[in-house]
Formats: sequence, C-alpha cells, structure tokens
Amino acid sequence: MCSCGHHFPLHAEAWIALLSDVGEWEEHWADLMPVDVLHWQRPRPYRAILDRGLEQGLNEAVRTGPCAIGGRRFWMAVFDFRFIGGTLGMVAGERLTRAIEHAITDDVPFLLVAASGGARMQESAHALMQMAKVNGAVAALHDARVPYLSLLTYPTYGGTAASLALLADINIAEPGAAIGFTGPRVIEQSTHERLPDRFQTAEFQLGHGQVDMIVQRLDLRRTLALLHDLLT
Amino acid sequence: VNEDAVREGWRRVELARHPERPHASDYIERMIGTFQELRGDRLVGDDPALIAGLGSWHGMTVMCFGQQKGRRQRDRVACNFGMMHPEGFRKAMRLARTASKLGLPILSIVDTPGAYPGAGAEERGIASAIGAAIMEWFRIETPVVAAIVGEGGSGGALGMAVADRVLMLENAIYSVASPEACASITWRDASFKQEAAQQMQLTAGSLLRHGIVDEVVPEPEGGAHVAADEAVRLLDTALLRHMLELRNQSRDVLMRRRHQRFRHIDRAHLAL
Repeated sequence: MCSCGHHFPLHAEAWIALLSDVGEWEEHWADLMPVDVLHWQRPRPYRAILDRGLEQGLNEAVRTGPCAIGGRRFWMAVFDFRFIGGTLGMVAGERLTRAIEHAITDDVPFLLVAASGGARMQESAHALMQMAKVNGAVAALHDARVPYLSLLTYPTYGGTAASLALLADINIAEPGAAIGFTGPRVIEQSTHERLPDRFQTAEFQLGHGQVDMIVQRLDLRRTLALLHDLLT
Repeated sequence: VNEDAVREGWRRVELARHPERPHASDYIERMIGTFQELRGDRLVGDDPALIAGLGSWHGMTVMCFGQQKGRRQRDRVACNFGMMHPEGFRKAMRLARTASKLGLPILSIVDTPGAYPGAGAEERGIASAIGAAIMEWFRIETPVVAAIVGEGGSGGALGMAVADRVLMLENAIYSVASPEACASITWRDASFKQEAAQQMQLTAGSLLRHGIVDEVVPEPEGGAHVAADEAVRLLDTALLRHMLELRNQSRDVLMRRRHQRFRHIDRAHLAL
C-alpha cells in the first residue's frame, strides 16, 4: 500500500501472507492442472501460456485451502490476476467448488478474494460452465447456512463478477477496486455512452448497493475476524 | 490455420445470426397455446429482451421464457437486440419461483449475443443479477428445459440455460464470449473473429461432443429460416420428449441431477 492510500494489486501469495495467521494456510488441490481441451493455437497456444505460468511458479488462477485469521477458521479461495488475468477455467472452477464444498462439510465460513478478468477464452464453453458449477456450490453453501464473505479487489469483472463474487452474505470491496460485468472500454465501444467518473469503482458499487462496505487493506484481518465472530 | 474449418465455423455463426431465423416469439407463438405474457421484475421495470409468460403446451401449463431479438429494425432496437438488462434476469427468476411454487415446468428459449453492455445495466447490478439467476436455477423444484436456438452468448445466455436438459439447434452457437469479443480479448483485434469462432468450438456438434449440451435438434435443409414451421415442429418434438422424461422424476431426484449435471460437466477433462 502506498502512503497516499493507493492499494496496489496483490497476487495470491501476498494475499495469503497478508490475511492468514502464520503457518495456518494449508493449500489444497495445487496438483490439479489445467488442460488444453480445445487445442487452442492462436494468437498464442494455450499450452505455451500454461507453460509460461509454470515458469513463474503458477499453475492456475485460483488457489484454495483452509486458513485462520486471528485464530478464526475459514476456507479461503484466492484469485491470482497474474495467471491469464485471473480467469475462471475448469481447474479454477473445480478448486473453488471443492473449497466451498469443504466449507459446508467443515461448517466454517467461506472467504473469497476475487481478482479476475472473467471467464477464460481458451477454455470457451467449458469456462462458461464453471459459472454454473461454482454457483451450484454457492447455492448449497447458503442452503447449508454457512457464512460466505467475498472480498472484491482490483479488478473483478465478467464471468467471475457474474457468478460467485457478488453472491456472498457480505460483499467487501477494497478502496479503488474496479468491479463490474462489462469493462468500460467495451461499453464505450458498443454503446458510445460517456461513462461517469469513478464508474465501476468500489465507491460506485457501494453507492449502487452492490457491496456492503469498503475496507482498507490494513483493517481487513480485524474486519474479517469481527464478521466471523458475528456470523458464527 | 485450417481454412476450411474456419470457413465452416463462420458459416454457422452467420446462420445462427441470420435475420430471418425464427426468433423466440416465433417459437412461442407456434408452440404455446393461449400464451399470456407476464411482465416486470417487481423492482424497477420490465425487460423487453425477455418474453415471459404462461401458456398451455401439450396439455401442460408451462412457464415459458424467450430471449427476443426482433426482426425489423424498430423491433430490434425496442428489445435491445436480445441483450438482457438486470430487470430481465430478475423477472425470469421471479417467474421461475412462481413456476416452482405452483409445480409448473419451465421452457427457456435462448437467443442472445450476450447481456446488455451498457452503463445502466452496470448501475443496476447486471453482474449480481446474472449470478443470482444462475444460483437460483438450482433451487427451482420443477423441470427446466432450455434450447439454444440462435446465439448463446456468454453469461447472458447461461443465465437462462441452467437447466435439466440443454438442447441446441443444429446451426446455433454457444460460447464464453461472442467471436468478436473473444478476438478483441485474445488478439486485441475483433477482425480475427472467424478464427476466434473456430477455436472456441462453438457449434452444436462440438458442444455435444464436449458434453456441454444434451442433444442437437436438426434444422430443415438450409437452416431454420428456410422452413420456420418445420424448425418449430422439430424443436417442439425434442422439447416434449425431454420434458416427459423429466416429469416422471421426483423433485429430489430432479434437483440432485441438475446439480450433478453442472457439478461434473467437465469431469472427463480434469486430470483427477
């Protein structure tokens, strides 16, 4: 975070280090690897994109596991925007779904940290289907009366925003996060509308009823622990 | 690049978007008797991109939905080219809950380039409206059969296609984004739309092979627009066959299988 208050985007490891108590994060299903089902070739082969991720030590856009925040147990799923723009693909969706299912089984709150451009083009309809797969799990989570907290960070768009990200019991946004379905460039191109200042920011979404609160990064652990206490 | 595959894929996209292709209103008018349209989301308005209503169909009362594109320019503009706003998804789920409460089966005719990409839709929460719809379909206690009859574009299509059975017309397309949007995202240039379409494998045959849809409904020779009555009859027959199967299932079995259908839709491709 900058001294001016600007929140720089964080990747998954940084989020885990920031939020979880030391030694309490236990990653699950890290060995589940994405597959190039459609044999995607152009403009870059999906296989080459996946290999580039592996060189960076990343094999998917979502990481999942149980953790503790101030001693409170959560099942957590964290998007990593570095991996193909944090896009939702089959393995990302599978990890999210399993984490939600484990939150139900263990009866501990589910915490999502969202940072995603939407569904992944290179998996096409399979990626689209993840929206239904994860939302089926979210329906079961709510029906099982297990709390769901969603932390929306810069940026949360497309198929991720339009599946699980905004369906939590409590939606929390980071200051300056961009949250929406269609990105501003596409809206301007397709409708020629002039968009207002601060369009789709966390503050805009607070004003339009989509998020419950905006929380500074340094207050997140305290807020999440408090909400855990109030909800369980 | 396989030029033939690209050409063939694009021919399907053009057929799926053909202006004379039967639209939702054509199917509803021909299939549903005494159709009574129902309007409004009970919150802020009504979405003309989604026709919704009750009618009789093969002796059953059904709740029927259809994404409506319009044919003449004035109609197309009036219903936003089939692109739904949040009000449309909220209207759909209000009425799906009514159908669930009253034990009425649901038909959903899907034909949209995608949800409406505008400032007003964003201001009124299009993302959470689609998300809530996708989630709510898992709670509907009556059979749901969806048919993609033209374009199945992105979350705007999926929001009306979380069903027990998903059928697709022979020349319809279904994909994570429109070919133009996919090309913009991956090439940063929409003019690669034909290659994008081919790579997304958005045709009915491909999606059947991938287990995304349950059945491909044949169209008359040359496409549904060549013989609309015949196209409607073929879809009607397929829809009825699936609905009669689903009507024999108990509520619990129906809901569990719908959940499992999507939970394990990619099972074959996950290296477990």
